[in-house]
This record gives sequence, structure tokens and C-alpha cells, in this order.
Amino acid sequence: MARLTVESLEAGYDGVQVLRGVALEARGGEFVAVVGPNGAGKSTLLKAVAGLLRPRAGAIRLDGERIDGRSPWEIVARGLTLIPEGRRLFGPLSVRENLELGAFVPRGGAVREETLRVVYRLFPVLDGKQRVLAQHLSGGEQQMLALARGLMTRPRLLCLDDPFLGLGRAVVDAFCDALRAVRDEGLTIVATGQHVRRLLRLATRAYLLDEGRVILSGTGAELLASEQLRRTLLP
Amino acid sequence: MKLAAVLLVLAVLPLLGPPAYYLYLFSTAYLFATLATAWNLLAYGGQVSFGQAAFFGLGAYGAALASLHGASPWLTITLGAALAGAGGAAVGLAAGRLNGAALALATLATAELLRGVALNWTALTGGGSGLVGIPSVPSLPAIPLELGGGRVGAYHLSLATLAAALTLSAAVLRSRAGLALAALREGETRGTLLGLRPLPWKVLAFALSGGATGLAGAVYAHTLGAVEPDVVFGRFFSIAPLVMATLGGRSLLGPAAAAVVLYLVSELVFHPLAPALHQLPYAFALIAVTLVLPAWRRTP
Amino acid sequence: MTLLEARGISVAYGGLVALGGVDFAIEERQVIALLGPNGSGKTTLFDVLSGLRRPAAGDVWLRGERVTGLPPWQLARRGVGRTFQIPEPFGALSVRDNVLVGVTFQARRPRTRAERLREVERLLTIVGLTDRAGDAAATLSLGERKRLELALALSGRPALLLLDELASGLSPKGREEVVRFYARLRAHGLTIIAVEHSFAVLAEVADRVLVLDRGTLVADGPPAAVLDSPPLRTAYMGEEE
Repeated sequence: MARLTVESLEAGYDGVQVLRGVALEARGGEFVAVVGPNGAGKSTLLKAVAGLLRPRAGAIRLDGERIDGRSPWEIVARGLTLIPEGRRLFGPLSVRENLELGAFVPRGGAVREETLRVVYRLFPVLDGKQRVLAQHLSGGEQQMLALARGLMTRPRLLCLDDPFLGLGRAVVDAFCDALRAVRDEGLTIVATGQHVRRLLRLATRAYLLDEGRVILSGTGAELLASEQLRRTLLP
Repeated sequence: MKLAAVLLVLAVLPLLGPPAYYLYLFSTAYLFATLATAWNLLAYGGQVSFGQAAFFGLGAYGAALASLHGASPWLTITLGAALAGAGGAAVGLAAGRLNGAALALATLATAELLRGVALNWTALTGGGSGLVGIPSVPSLPAIPLELGGGRVGAYHLSLATLAAALTLSAAVLRSRAGLALAALREGETRGTLLGLRPLPWKVLAFALSGGATGLAGAVYAHTLGAVEPDVVFGRFFSIAPLVMATLGGRSLLGPAAAAVVLYLVSELVFHPLAPALHQLPYAFALIAVTLVLPAWRRTP
Repeated sequence: MTLLEARGISVAYGGLVALGGVDFAIEERQVIALLGPNGSGKTTLFDVLSGLRRPAAGDVWLRGERVTGLPPWQLARRGVGRTFQIPEPFGALSVRDNVLVGVTFQARRPRTRAERLREVERLLTIVGLTDRAGDAAATLSLGERKRLELALALSGRPALLLLDELASGLSPKGREEVVRFYARLRAHGLTIIAVEHSFAVLAEVADRVLVLDRGTLVADGPPAAVLDSPPLRTAYMGEEE
């Protein structure tokens, strides 16, 4: 059974339909990349999956259980965590406080100390800056912290919206390594973003979204090689 | 023209010979209508004042002090209004850097600050007991209607004040200033990108609103013959115009009409029923307005 | 003759570098397509050029005058007109009054109200909104708002137009209209920097393409040289690793 299944999903904002029947899946341990041009519906898809946007039609299942229409906190409690675009950290709080707030769910709380150790092992840079305020971190460190905070809920499925946005090349490299490590530990990841080539290289499965529909799917390597990807993405 | 007709009808009402109490009530209602109209000059430009008492008190004290130093009532009223207008311009300069809640708090603080000054600068202001013995406004020989003296005189003086405020407001709303203020209210950033410089218009709105409010304060000082810090700089003169004008909407006559209705309902309906609770209509109006505010104030 | 010159423009938000030293110059009557993915700094650059954001470093010259840090209203009066991707007109004001604001406060002329209203009618005719002139701007559809946005940007008779995604969110028919608009603006000799999600909208009018990637200008040249070039691919697809 797939960890995440999305069937015939339609969603949008008042007056504007964005997703026009999207179907995709992520199996346990997979890294799924969803790529596409601006306005294709990538963020909308992740918002609908995380319960931040109520779908108009279709179904979303986490390990077989319907989660569409549920509230965001119920979905987080079931093991699905979204790290939104722009990070949304608690700027005036320290690294450690941000992480502890991330564990503020039933699944995370019980094993918080252990989870913290795991997270600091994955992101040694955060270990050294536990008392530093989030707003004083560099852009790359803030993105690491957002990822780490997402992991504090001990998710079964981690969704990342444009995780590399605004980061320099070296930081993206480091971040990709972290994501690869998380993936190799068996966490299922669904990620969108503009760093298409990087995401597709990490991806075991990938979808190309355009105007609210999946127009191409395959392995990351298959999409990378496709002419349609280039035609769709370039202006 | 419609406005002139309404004012004319109101002006001849005393000929019906109403009881003095009603004349007093209407005089006070027109006073609040003036304050609401002045408040709306700010709100029309998207600025919310919680401290109109600052300008009311400046007008009242300005007129009272000038009068006690021998100036004639017409001069003192002009001086009071001018002083309040200058105070308004000063607050407006600060308002150039403040918006929303920060501006509201700054205006509130201004009124409280001036109340403190009036209370403590005893040599000038008479301290907490205020100033007394301010003469009433004499009748003008050219106008057959009695102005300052007696209930009828107070009625006409108050109505004339309201007429002045409404005329000023009409002139502003119809002019470039009105366009500028409406644009600042609807989208300051968009406005600046169209060459609109916010500061002068904000200062102008505060100066005019302060001046009109101060005019009412000066007339009040002469009508009552006395000013007291806790009254003329008191919070009621800040909050009442806000509630009334918000209820009345953003049009020219809406704030004044709402002020008259709200004041009369409070005094004629609620006061006899429950004297201690006669300010309840303001509370209800404020709650109602808060709940429906966005939709209501959007209507031009 | 050089209309606009930007040198070393840098802007940072918190830990993020939005613009990291952008340099370019624009000749009069040039039409520039500004490309770059979301978050590459296009709107931030517009914010700097229109005076909404003071750059942390760098300078902007307009017709040889240094205008860095001037407030938006001064830049507007010097001839910088701008649209927003998501138009927010003065909602409670009529369409006519919206444009009247632009006509009244940017230019020294026209002087009389009648002349100003004639100018408003002219602009509304250009963008095809005369039949909605009396309606509150809040009641306009997205397509109509975009037209109004363009009328506002044109209301100060600008020398430089900064156009942010006029075609986005429009139907194919609306997009065709935008293409025709661009052709007309170009024919009037306006200098334009246009951001469009799809270069196709600008293909007929663009003399030159600038590509921003994470706050840096990575390509600048004629469309044929820039489109499908490695820097453009990197901007839109990420680097090769």
C-alpha cells in the first residue's frame, strides 16, 4: 500500500481552480519530486495534502486512510508534516525552542529527547547553535532548522515546498546531502520546487505538473531526460 | 443645496416654541454632530483618531483664556479654532510616520497629555477647577436671530457651528484633497506610486479636523461659561465622535446625522429609563459597528 | 540615450539575499523582458526602481539624475510608472476616480479639472474600460483590474514602464489582448521593462532579455542569444550539480 495516494484532486482559491484532477502516489521510503512552472499548482497540491486547503473533489489517503477534509493538526498528528515555502520559523525564539515547538504533537512529544539527538546528528550545524535565535541564522541554517523542526514531529511523510528557495549553491549542496540522508533513513518525502534538476536527481519518482494537471510522470532520471520537461519549464 | 435646506429648517425650529430642555438637547446634539463631522475628515483619509478631545480642549481653553484676557467672543472663537488647528497639524506631522493602531494610540496619548497639562499648569489654566466667567456670545446686529444668549441663542450658535463644519467637510470631500484622502485610505502605497505625497494631505486633514473640533470646543466654552480639564479634555469627547461617525458611515451627512440620532436616543429614550445606563447606546453602536465595520465603512 | 542605469543594486530580507549587486542600463525606447523564476528578485528590482524599497547598496540613475532612495511619489513624478502582478486598485473609488488620482498628482498638467477628466477618458479608452468608468473598482473582474492597473501606470505619462505579469491569470483571449497592448506601447515609443511568466507574450516586442537567478543577473542580451541558454536553464531548472 502506498504511503500517500492522491486521486482526481481538484482544488483552488475563490474563483480560481488551480488543480484540475491530479493523481499521484508516494510509496514508503520514496523521494517524490513534483515539478512544474510557476502557477502549475505545486504549492496548492501540498497545501491540500497538508489540510491547509480543502479540496473540491478527489481523495487524499495516508497509508490508506482518507485525510482530505481533515484539519491540519489532525493530519500532522497522523504523521504528515509540511515544511512550507518561506520557512515560517519563530524568529525571536532560539534554535532549540523552535525544535521543541516542532515536537508539540502526540507523536513527537514522547520521544522528544531522542528525536532531538537524531536531528542534531543530521544537522550538526544546529547542534552548535542551540541557543542562537532563529532570526540570527543564515538563510541556509534557517532552512535546515525548518527541515529539522519538521522532523521533530517524527513524520511518516514529509512534504517540502520549494526547500531551496533563495539559497546559495553551496547551501543547496549541503541541504541535498541532508535530504539524501533523511531519505536513506527510510522517511518518505514529497518535495516541490524550482531546483528541478536537483530534485529530480534525488527523486525515485517524479511528476511534471502544468496548469493543474500531471502531464508527465516517471523516475527522476526519466523526467530529466525528457524534452517535454524543458519545454514546459523554460519561459 | 439639500444641506442648506435642512439647516434652514433646523434654524427656524425654535419658532415653534419648544421647551427649553429640548433646545438644550438639540444644541448639544449639534455640537456632537460637529465633532463627528470633524472626525470623519480624518477617517475619510483612513486615519483613526482616539483623541479628538485634545482639539476640543485646545479650542475651549484657547477661547476661554483669550476671553478672560479681554478679547471679544468672535475673536476668541477664531483663536480657539486656530489653536486647535495648529495642534491638529502638529499631530498630523507625527501621523506621517504612524498608521493604524500606533496612530490611534498617539492621538489618545495627546489628549491625555494635554489634560495633564491643563490640570497641572494652575497659573495659566486654573488647574482642576478650570476657568469660569467666560462671557456668552453677543447677538449680531445684522442677524435677526438671537445667537449667544439664552437657550435659543445657544441653539443657533451650535447649529451655525455645525453648518460651518459641514461646509468645510463638503468643500474638502469635493476637492483634490478629498481625492487625495480617499486614495490614501484605499491604498497608500498605490497612491504614492501615482505621485501622491501622503504627508501634506494627512497634515491638512488633521489641521482641518482639529480646527473644526476646536471651533466646537470654543463655542462650548462660551455657551457654558466655564471650562474644566476633565471635561473638555475628557475621554467622552474623544470616543463619542468616533462611535457616532463610524456608525454614520463615510458620507458628508452620515456622521452628523448619526450623532444627532444617537445623542437624542441616549438622552430621550435611555436616560429616562435608566439614568445610570444612558450611555449604553454608544456601547451598542460601537459593538455593532465593530462587527459590521469592514462592509459598512467601505460604502463611499 | 540612456534612460535608466542601475549599478550594484543589493537588497536583503532577513537572511535572504533578494538582490546581490545587479547592474544594467537601459536605452530609451527599449523593451526589455525580465525573466527569472519565482523568488529570483524581479519584483524586488521593481520595488527598488519604483522607490518602494531603498537598496542596501547600489545606485539608480534616471536620465542621468541619481534617484536612489527617492520616495515613490517623487519617482512617479519623474516618469516611472508601474503595475502590480496582483492589482489592488482603490477599491471604493470609481474606475474614473482611480485614474483621476494618477492624472492629478503625478503631472503638473493638465491643470483644470475638465482637462484632467478628459485625460482620464483618454486613458480609459486606451485600456477599454470606458463602460465601467462609474463603477467601484472593487467590482472589476481580474481582467478589468489588469486594464485599470495599466491605465494607472500610464496616467503620469511615464518615460519608463515597469509591467509585472500583465498576462498572468488571463484567458487565452485576454493574453492575446496583452500581446497587442505591448505592441501599442512599443509603437508609442515607451521604454518598458516587462515581467511575464511566458516569454511568448513578449516575443514580438522584446529587444532584449534580462534573466535574474537568485538575485543575480545571469544573462543579458537579445532574445535569440538568451532563450534556451545555459544560464536561463540553470535559473529555471537549477544547476547541474
